[in-house]
Amino acid sequence: MSADATIAAQPTKRARARSSNEPDGRHGEGFGRYWVLALLVVAALLTLFPFFLAAINAIKTPTDYGANGPVALPRSFDLSALFAFWTGVEFGRKLWNSVLISGCVAFFGVALSLLNAYALGIGKVKGRNLILIVLMLGIMVPQESLVYPIYYLAKSVGLYDTRLSVIIVFTVLQSAFGTYMLSAVLTQFPREIIDAAEIDGASRLQVLWHVVIPVLRPTLTVLGTFFFIWTWNEFLLPLVLLISNDNQNVSVAMGTLHGQHVSDPTTTAAAALLGIVPTVIFFLVFQRTLMRGVTVGAVK
Amino acid sequence: MASTVDRPSGRAGLNLGYLPYLLPGAIGFFVVVLIPFLMNIAVSFTRWKGIGVPKFIGLENYLKLFQDKTFWAAFEHSVACVIAMALIPTALGLFLGAVLFDYIGPRFGPRASSGLRAAFYLPQILPVAVAGVLWGWILSPIGVLNTILDGLGLHALSQNWLGDPATALLAVMFVMVWLQLGYALVVFMAGLARVDPALYEAAELDGAPWLSRFRHITIPMLKPEIFVVGLTTTIAALKVFAPVYVLTSGGPDNATTVPSYFAYYHFFTTNRVGYGAAITTVQTLITIVLGLVFLRVQRKQTEGAN
Amino acid sequence: MIAKKRLTAALALSLALAAGSHGVARADDSDKTFKIWWYETPDSAMGIAWNKAIEEFKAKHPDVTIAFEQKSWDQIEKAGSLILNSGEAPDLLEYNKGNAIAGLAASQGLLTDLTDVAAERGWDKTLTSSELLLSRYDDRGIFGTGPIWGIPDYGEFVAVYYNKNMFKDLGLEVPKTLAEFEKVMDAFVAKGITPIATAANDYPAQHLLTELALSKATPEWVQSYQGLKAPLDPAPYLYGAQTLQDWVKKGYVSKDATGLKATDMETLFETGKAPMVVSGTWFGGGFKSKIKDFEWGQFLFPGNTISSGSTGNIWVVPKSAKHKDWAYEFIDITLSKDNQALLGNSGGVPVAADPASLTDPVGLMMTENFKVLADRNGLGFYPDWPAPGFYEVMLQKTQALIGGTITPEEFVEQISGPYNEAQAEAN
Repeated sequence: MSADATIAAQPTKRARARSSNEPDGRHGEGFGRYWVLALLVVAALLTLFPFFLAAINAIKTPTDYGANGPVALPRSFDLSALFAFWTGVEFGRKLWNSVLISGCVAFFGVALSLLNAYALGIGKVKGRNLILIVLMLGIMVPQESLVYPIYYLAKSVGLYDTRLSVIIVFTVLQSAFGTYMLSAVLTQFPREIIDAAEIDGASRLQVLWHVVIPVLRPTLTVLGTFFFIWTWNEFLLPLVLLISNDNQNVSVAMGTLHGQHVSDPTTTAAAALLGIVPTVIFFLVFQRTLMRGVTVGAVK
Repeated sequence: MASTVDRPSGRAGLNLGYLPYLLPGAIGFFVVVLIPFLMNIAVSFTRWKGIGVPKFIGLENYLKLFQDKTFWAAFEHSVACVIAMALIPTALGLFLGAVLFDYIGPRFGPRASSGLRAAFYLPQILPVAVAGVLWGWILSPIGVLNTILDGLGLHALSQNWLGDPATALLAVMFVMVWLQLGYALVVFMAGLARVDPALYEAAELDGAPWLSRFRHITIPMLKPEIFVVGLTTTIAALKVFAPVYVLTSGGPDNATTVPSYFAYYHFFTTNRVGYGAAITTVQTLITIVLGLVFLRVQRKQTEGAN
Repeated sequence: MIAKKRLTAALALSLALAAGSHGVARADDSDKTFKIWWYETPDSAMGIAWNKAIEEFKAKHPDVTIAFEQKSWDQIEKAGSLILNSGEAPDLLEYNKGNAIAGLAASQGLLTDLTDVAAERGWDKTLTSSELLLSRYDDRGIFGTGPIWGIPDYGEFVAVYYNKNMFKDLGLEVPKTLAEFEKVMDAFVAKGITPIATAANDYPAQHLLTELALSKATPEWVQSYQGLKAPLDPAPYLYGAQTLQDWVKKGYVSKDATGLKATDMETLFETGKAPMVVSGTWFGGGFKSKIKDFEWGQFLFPGNTISSGSTGNIWVVPKSAKHKDWAYEFIDITLSKDNQALLGNSGGVPVAADPASLTDPVGLMMTENFKVLADRNGLGFYPDWPAPGFYEVMLQKTQALIGGTITPEEFVEQISGPYNEAQAEAN
């Protein structure tokens, strides 16, 4: 296994390491480590700068924006446009639709990916590489090319303008990515653990449930989070498939802020911040799960 | 290792036994991907406005496509997108992930490393349409970046970032790195969570410097993730649409146009759905070929190691 | 395990919800529900007037439930024909005028022919024949002739907005000719001010270019150009392109425009940094509510008989609409004197208002200018209309022209290609 291989390879590396004159270990580095931290913090702040811009413009009045531009700090505080947007598009309803769609896609997408990857990565089904490549068509096909066919298919089975149609489409599309990622990880899965379980008489389903899932948990959470966030921000297919306002999600509702020729940047900024709150919460929750994943790994 | 040892159940039985697990995925794939994909290929041989009856015109769309200069320019820009969305984020994400995991984490606590990770990931969460508006404010000739540069007396450096063909592609590439880095970072850090920390501690106590640990522990351990991130970001780069759409709409004068934008333009603006279908068919075929090469290298690398 | 089971149950339930509520929505489609969609934003003049129309309709039909939905322009532009082609279309909707969208839907048989209804209800009297040009589409989907498929109730045009304070500071008058216009701009350039803000990473720059082109155009040229009647006669565009590049050289327009969006241009004017913008009446409402620090006004492009302009987007009744009579009645309300006056007084350009009823200075100014244009047969439509996708061609090439990467001759050549291709395809 690769872990053993790496450990086995250690002595030579250690020897090589000693000959280099880099500072070694955590004790001899003095203030150097603060420099690394400071550098990363600055980089992170630069990354977050656009969010800061969104925040300062979200609370401006349109007049303030008009008079001072997007770069100036706010001289006014006004959320009325935001509330008008919220009630105007029934934002609560859109949020719920987005949570429902993204949540279902995250869960079923991960489940579908896991089943596929279990057969391909652990089961090593014959022709697995071919199957994997064919399945990956799901991420290789540009979404624009699916719009018209999926519209006609959805219409023919009576699922046009339903959230279910969007859930099905994205569950399958996201699972192409998930299958690939999980089967790559599972080819490295310690075989002896599975063999041991099978010798103990565990069925394949039991192996999946009691052996594979616990080890993969950090990866599965990451996958679920990705699916949730990616689906949340999907725009083109929901725009075409979700017609009535009752079924629309946040990203489609945001479009109503743009007229044919004019847009309202302050409300856009405010609505954007509102729209990302659930995904940020979702991400933060997942961060905690991920930390738990680390400790499980450590105990094992 | 043990995986290749023959066992009583027999090879054929073992392999067939996992097939039911593929069934749900296969059904979904047929309905959502394969049938629409084939429908799209069929449409590419027609003239069609999206509604009404398509008219069969044979290879006309393809013949026209291969003479279309914009189409070839779009593919040249795809190379730039691969650099900005795949190469740089993968390399930088790997490095950053390792620094956060085994340098920042042990010294400043897991909160520091996960906080930084969250910060770098946040661009992924922002809807791209909104990111486009925000970066427009920054990169506009009268925007934040130029204001700062002028304020610092660096007037010579301020540019018409998105409006000048010389800088537009670079500016779009920069935003792509900003968007993609967090994805690579999070996958790599999740992968590192599988690694036994004792391995690092042992190496560190033995005095292995950070760079050496990075090369000899982190990279080999993360091999599956590196391939996953590399391939998925390459595919994403080949079909990138939204950042280009919101920042430049392919301009100035097609300096930043990409295949997906070009296809979108014909699908939804000129109503030449057949032509759009031809563009996406060629685009998909190129992506498949690249994907195959990638997977072959990956299989050699990972299975060779086992 | 229990937690997991709960999670699974919750998911199963939500999936059932996702599938099921569609049935509930269907049940709402009873005989007493009138579905209306539009995409003008609620604070626009049209949004205000049409919301009032809903109230009026409600007062007349207390037993009818009005199911209004605010749509986005984007959604109707991309998915409009797909919506009309499904069973989910409303009874009445605002639809994009022009060959690519309304023309396509009309030629595909997705709309109700309103010719007889228009005669019956007098819409063809309320609106002049030129105001109905964009309501008519022939069987190829090209506007101008054929049955009436939609009804407009507002107008729009491109003109010059100017900052009165900045004009006063330099002692400048509103120019009447192109030569005077250039003198005004020279005065600003002498003070180090770029006189016209425009945005070439967006649509406004092509409107500016078109104003210059239209200064050399005849009504016959406009009709031929818009109707795809012949290959492009490039003379007006060549003049427009040469002049625009000349203006960039003289500093009337900044090269930086190539990196600007329409909102940037709007901000430059609203912040008092730019004395003038050349753009459409759709900015009137925004300027009215956001500009507090200076006086501003609007004048028609100096020296031009023809300017970009037309009637606005149209009301259409989908073929599959269930309550066509209500849709007609609603159109009646929006064309009524009261509703039209409200549209004008909210900063819009009504097509059937009594000028005496307009009290708002912005609405009055724009309505008067619109009337001047319409009366002298000066509505030149928009440059991007003749062919679907021509908008992007004009945008990209105007951007390159301002950036100086192509010459006026190359500009003309590069827009002629797609135009002539579309022209050949249509005939």
